[in-house]
Amino acid sequence: MQSAKLAMKNEKVTKMVKLTINNKKMEVEEGTTLLEAAQKLGIEIPTLCHHSALKPYGACRVCLVEVIKGSKVGLVASCTYPAEEGLVAKTDTKRVKRARRLSIELLLARCPTSEKVRELALKLGVKKTRFKEEKEECILCGLCVRVCEEMIGKSAISFINRGADREVTTPFKIESSECIGCGACAYLCPTEVIKIEDVIKYRKLDFWNTKLELKKCKVCGRYFIPTVELKYLKEKIKSFEEIELPEEVLEVCPKCRRRILSDKMKEFIGG
Amino acid sequence: MTKILVVDIEKCSGCRICEVACSWFHEEEFNPAKARLSIVSWKKAAISYPMICEQCEKAPCKEVCPTDAIYKDEESGAWKVDEVKCIGCKFCIQVCPLGAISFFEEKRGAIKCDLCDGDPQCVKFCPMDAIEFVEEDKVGLKKKRISAEKLFATMQEIPK
Ligand code: SF4
Ligand code: SF4
Ligand code: SF4
Ligand code: FES
Repeated sequence: MQSAKLAMKNEKVTKMVKLTINNKKMEVEEGTTLLEAAQKLGIEIPTLCHHSALKPYGACRVCLVEVIKGSKVGLVASCTYPAEEGLVAKTDTKRVKRARRLSIELLLARCPTSEKVRELALKLGVKKTRFKEEKEECILCGLCVRVCEEMIGKSAISFINRGADREVTTPFKIESSECIGCGACAYLCPTEVIKIEDVIKYRKLDFWNTKLELKKCKVCGRYFIPTVELKYLKEKIKSFEEIELPEEVLEVCPKCRRRILSDKMKEFIGG
Repeated sequence: MTKILVVDIEKCSGCRICEVACSWFHEEEFNPAKARLSIVSWKKAAISYPMICEQCEKAPCKEVCPTDAIYKDEESGAWKVDEVKCIGCKFCIQVCPLGAISFFEEKRGAIKCDLCDGDPQCVKFCPMDAIEFVEEDKVGLKKKRISAEKLFATMQEIPK
């Protein structure tokens, strides 16, 4: 009974589909995206809004590839498009290159100062944008919103408005009551517009209109972790399986943990 | 057989050559600030001690990581960080009881000891032979765990 179940589960996991990318035949697990399949072949596809730990989103459109299904040819975002049985895809045709250049030109017009956007534009052969330049610093890739929700389990930030007024911000654009100040959003933001700064007792996230109180290290007295993040992590470590990590560890900064320990070592060897 | 790093505290002279060797191997930079182990010195007691990841069997860093970026390298037995999956939340740094994980802002995410894929440079370059790379059962779990236990005990003593 159990083995039958297991076999079924295995079958589910390993259902394979055959496809062709740039004339190379390959087999991948069902559910793999075209981007992932291409990466397996060592084919490079540019991306801006993709992160392998997050759900595909398809916002920046620099990852476009051509798919051929029967007599139909179309452009799709490879980061969201699933590999299908019999699919033929091309990642380096003239059409693909032209389409990617258009995508990056639009982003370059939106964020002309972003280093990452400019770098990618150059790589794709775009020196200048034909569109009217704006002075935005956010490309609306949604990495910040997604990492906060999917990985941190908070919904501190979200998209508001539509069309040209679309932006990412906190609810009502006021101080977030959800943000724990972990900084994952800032780490992933390709334009580095989310800045995080510790100013004595506070962690400031100006882009999110948020200022969080920091807690002092119990040993050296340096402010090092937002009170809300400490609470969040204390909850987390309670649910650890088979690991007993005393809460107190979290109240001592990592640097002091090293010091205390080495001091204890000295005692231990009788020094 | 899993091998682990064991430090002989009496031998360490605090020269920091291990840090330099480590940062050169991983980052091609002679920069102790980018080493994956750190020498802690107590000037008063004239004592130094290299703090290294103990590759805990049940590792809090792995447990807390929301993206499974921390995984066991079966060959070396080291806990490694998958750069591609790391989202930079730094939770691993906050929970490591030894303070053994660091973070480079220039987009490489969490950084920790990976046992140099089985050929630890700190061991190779330490002029005092203060760091040894030995099979786990030869050390005995007791010695390996001692530092963590001591730390926990000390933590309890810190006033609330
Ligand atoms: S810093 Fe705040 S907004 Fe950013 S990911 Fe962490 S909790 Fe979310
Ligand atoms: S703030 Fe940064 S991460 Fe967030 S949507 Fe804009 S560009 Fe993307
Ligand atoms: S910083 Fe990276 S490795 Fe550490 S817990 Fe966060 S995602 Fe995992
Ligand atoms: S990476 Fe595919 S649309 Fe952005």
